[in-house]
Amino acid sequence: MPNRETLDVDVLIVGGGPAGMSAALRLAQLQQEKGGEPLAIAVLEKAREVGAHMLSGAVLDPSTLRRLVPDFVAKGAPLASKVHHDRVYFLTRSSKLRFPITPPPLQNHGNYIISLNRFVKWLGGLVEAAGVDIFTGFSAVEVLYDGERVIGVRTGDRGIGKHGEKRSTFEAGVDIHAKVTILTDGVRGNLTKAVVRRLALDAGKLPQLYAIGIKELWEIPSGRLPVGTVIHTMGYPLRMEEFGGAFIYAMPDGLTSVGFVSGLDYRDPMFDPHITFQHFKRHPFVASLLQGAQMVRYGAKALPEGGWHTIPRTHADGLLIAGDAAGFMNSMRLKGIHLAMRTGMFAAESAFEAVRANDVSSARLKSYAEAIDASEVRRELYPVRNVHQSFSHGLLAGVAYSGLSLITGGWWHRDPMPAHAGYQRIAKLDAYYDGHRPDPDAPVRPAKVDRQLTFDRLTNVHYSGTRHPEDQPSHLIVHDADVCRTRCRSEYGNPCTRFCPANVYEMVDAGDGTKKLQINASNCVHCKTCDIMDPYQLIDWVPPEGGGGPQYEGM
Amino acid sequence: MKIAVCIKQVVTREWQLRVNEAKTWIRDRDASFELNEPDAYALEEALRLKEKHTGEVVVVSAGPARVSQVIREALARGADRAIHIESDTLATADAVSVADAIASAIRDETFDLVLTGLQSDDQGFGQVGVILAEKLGMPHATIIMEVQAQDSSLRVKRELEGGWFQWMTLPMPALLTIQSGINQLRYATLKGIMAAKKKEIRKVTPSQSADSTQRILNVHFPQKAKQTQMVSGSPADASRELVKHLRENARVI
Amino acid sequence: MILVVGEQRGGKLNRATWEAVAAAQSLGDTVKVVVLGGGADAAAREIAAAEVTEVAVVDAPALADYTADGYVTALASLIEQQAPSLVLFPHTYQTRDFVPALATRLGRALVTDVTAINRAEGRTVYSRPVFQGKLGAEVEALGPTPHLVTLQIGAFRADAARRGAAAAAVTAAAVSVDAGAVRQKPEAPFQEARQAVDLSQAERIVAVGRGIKGQEHLKIAEELAKALGAELAASRPICDAGWLPMDRQIGSSGQTVAPKLYVALGISGAIQHLVGMKGSRTIVAINKDPEAPIFEIADYGIAGDLFEIVPALIAELNK
Repeated sequence: MPNRETLDVDVLIVGGGPAGMSAALRLAQLQQEKGGEPLAIAVLEKAREVGAHMLSGAVLDPSTLRRLVPDFVAKGAPLASKVHHDRVYFLTRSSKLRFPITPPPLQNHGNYIISLNRFVKWLGGLVEAAGVDIFTGFSAVEVLYDGERVIGVRTGDRGIGKHGEKRSTFEAGVDIHAKVTILTDGVRGNLTKAVVRRLALDAGKLPQLYAIGIKELWEIPSGRLPVGTVIHTMGYPLRMEEFGGAFIYAMPDGLTSVGFVSGLDYRDPMFDPHITFQHFKRHPFVASLLQGAQMVRYGAKALPEGGWHTIPRTHADGLLIAGDAAGFMNSMRLKGIHLAMRTGMFAAESAFEAVRANDVSSARLKSYAEAIDASEVRRELYPVRNVHQSFSHGLLAGVAYSGLSLITGGWWHRDPMPAHAGYQRIAKLDAYYDGHRPDPDAPVRPAKVDRQLTFDRLTNVHYSGTRHPEDQPSHLIVHDADVCRTRCRSEYGNPCTRFCPANVYEMVDAGDGTKKLQINASNCVHCKTCDIMDPYQLIDWVPPEGGGGPQYEGM
Repeated sequence: MKIAVCIKQVVTREWQLRVNEAKTWIRDRDASFELNEPDAYALEEALRLKEKHTGEVVVVSAGPARVSQVIREALARGADRAIHIESDTLATADAVSVADAIASAIRDETFDLVLTGLQSDDQGFGQVGVILAEKLGMPHATIIMEVQAQDSSLRVKRELEGGWFQWMTLPMPALLTIQSGINQLRYATLKGIMAAKKKEIRKVTPSQSADSTQRILNVHFPQKAKQTQMVSGSPADASRELVKHLRENARVI
Repeated sequence: MILVVGEQRGGKLNRATWEAVAAAQSLGDTVKVVVLGGGADAAAREIAAAEVTEVAVVDAPALADYTADGYVTALASLIEQQAPSLVLFPHTYQTRDFVPALATRLGRALVTDVTAINRAEGRTVYSRPVFQGKLGAEVEALGPTPHLVTLQIGAFRADAARRGAAAAAVTAAAVSVDAGAVRQKPEAPFQEARQAVDLSQAERIVAVGRGIKGQEHLKIAEELAKALGAELAASRPICDAGWLPMDRQIGSSGQTVAPKLYVALGISGAIQHLVGMKGSRTIVAINKDPEAPIFEIADYGIAGDLFEIVPALIAELNK
């Protein structure tokens, strides 16, 4: 047994994103307001620095920010621009149709374009100033239980070599014991995934539906797009059967976010989100915006799009789950930051009361779910509860239902509208291509890479600033790599090589004429798509040694 | 043994550099920063020496408020206290100005040993340590790969070029510049991070700056000296074309 | 007069001295060379073949073995005596050790790692790398002359140094060094590697970098080296990891080479590596990162996966 350090706190927050930071700040505020014996609060964050793994569009609905930090302007919140212009286009291969009116969910009047990285860095600054410990560079690898009660987490061992051997710098992980653990480990968080399974928190819920967002930050000539312009597109290069769309947000100094969100519930096993994004950029409308401009940063991350019916039970003995980890995102508005922050605040309030009352049971912590149910979080999410599911019947059905839901409050004759997890929807090659099997190693719809407008995966990864120490075990656990070369190759054509945006998964020559899986773990941008989308569910994304991963400055 | 370690905050190696409007430095407004790598090895060496011989490790850093990031990191790893020379200009100043400011800040404390990294990732002068030694009147040795502390002297292993090394003895107090790879860097622990919060960071303002000895007129991305011919296509096609070039044009095989 | 401070060890002149002489000659002023230390005579006679006005030798018991204190003391008084307009040094591990102290003692500016010197309208502008070579900077030295400048190895061509019609005079400079001023006590240099490989003699080199990913992959590089009749070398990370011995390392802390053919596999091209190989006649770079700086200096580049390209290249060469 390694000699493990332990640390005892009252409230432990795992994941320093908008939900975690809001929880931490709210706890510090409650402490200040209510006085009494100070609570020990800690935030764990796997990134080397606060905000480094933050990736979003992003347009911020400031409603929660106003509650949490009423004087956010005076406190210097980094809001890049107010939204001044909203446009929604339907793209065809070579032209665009502007929606005559911006659909209400996509109206952004009063919202702000932000860099989530900078925003969370700023929040982190407030949290630290309030005296809360933020531990960056520590990944949490395991939930600790006493029976069914969550009592904290264990951080990852550090200094383990590639083959599992202890290096001279070995440092055993730490057991952090907490009265209440708030999991805010983000979309497809590794701890939330484990605890939901162990405690069956998803019983009676629909499977979560995800999407993958790929984003580039561009510097375009100033004035080409008015600052504060928000553009969303639907249609090309996606087909009617695929869910998704693009965003273009104009910030000051020509800095422009360009991104593409692809639903991870596509049927075509050859679908490739990275190539789809390249096709999007080559559309004349986008290409003309980016002509002569410079891509300066890249990132990719999954989004939880399933909505209300996919949110698991978010409380258990000693446990609360908030933000993207639980799935609090409005896919119709493409917004989740304010919901992450709001649920983080609610979690803080419940945790604070529970710790003070010396009762952290599920029954007590249920106040968290009740607060959400009585709040604008439910009022926002419940009416759109079936929207993403409706898109699984195709774009037209989805748009029709979404329009209808605005009037009906989301009613459907089968509520919840049934849905399957994305990995179950992906079709087998033979079935989808009706016997005309494409070559699994070549894209079906290749996009030209010119390294000006369009990029290959590795060039993009380079621009994500991703860094992992090479001498560590792979943090992508494939439980049976034999399936990759045998069944998956024949049934699905190794879709991991396509849905992974970072070239982590490669099928390389095995030397005997067949292909075998090679995992380039150090490329991983922590988007979680592989964990979500693997049709056999054999891939487990576990955190690499703390501090590794992308550096999403300004993203 | 009372040891000072000079550390510098530099932009991360992964950050995509962009040049500022005036083209005199990078645009580091939204850059990410980290501890200069050779300085991390210098700090580690100091901590190991302290563990072996007891004493105190003090980190010294010059630059704007943001350098508190690397100061806190150093304290978390085990440094006992810090001196922050607060200045917006020193982070990009010439070596003499920086060495001058550090010398003024630490002269009154009698350090047995001063360590710096070999050079910084940004300016890359490789001068500050040696100038500092001269200003403090200490003997120095550079590019050090091993340190053996004796009673009042040091025996150090200098790296020379081409796989050559040399042992050298010098009396303390002395200054050493440390080569990357001299040791294995430790991780900051949770306890270390918490303890760091309670450690002293003495802030000093540089009194008057020394005359600059050099000025950057402009910075630019390197111009290609030769035309690079990129060979593309499938591995087999690219290989065929490359071998043809090497045989027929370059005539090197 | 421009003073070039040569470098020698045991009478063997460091070739970079010729590069510094070439740089000095290109500035159109007269050039003097000084060589210090035990055995300096032999080295002085070698560099006296260059078109220079004089080669001064500074030898004293206190200078027998290199020490920073000894060299600083000797050169400080020599430079004050000679009053050159500029002092040039090769940028070596030795000059990095003492020149900053010398400049400080003299109260003069020092510009290090210089790759080009441009004089126009009475102004001298030095080019030097910053950010590990990712950017170049043009800098100006300030304050009284002579300024001190160290020249990046390989930035100036040794073979461009003009030879004199007759050997220049070799004179003994009247500089005394008090042994008491020398605080460092050096021991004899030694080589760490068991089996020294002199890569500087190799005609072709295949060098591997971080992109090779694992020691087990070295064999494809070895096979390529065999197919090319080349020596195997590496960048620093590979030797740090112990995958290849340190004497296979190319770069600022390893060997400097200039073969006919240099094939860089998975080497990104950090400046520390480039300085050790950029004098190569033909450079081929294979790297997955098309933005890698190695492509900036390559004659031929393939942006791609070396694990795919190298086997195809071996097959092609063995055809």
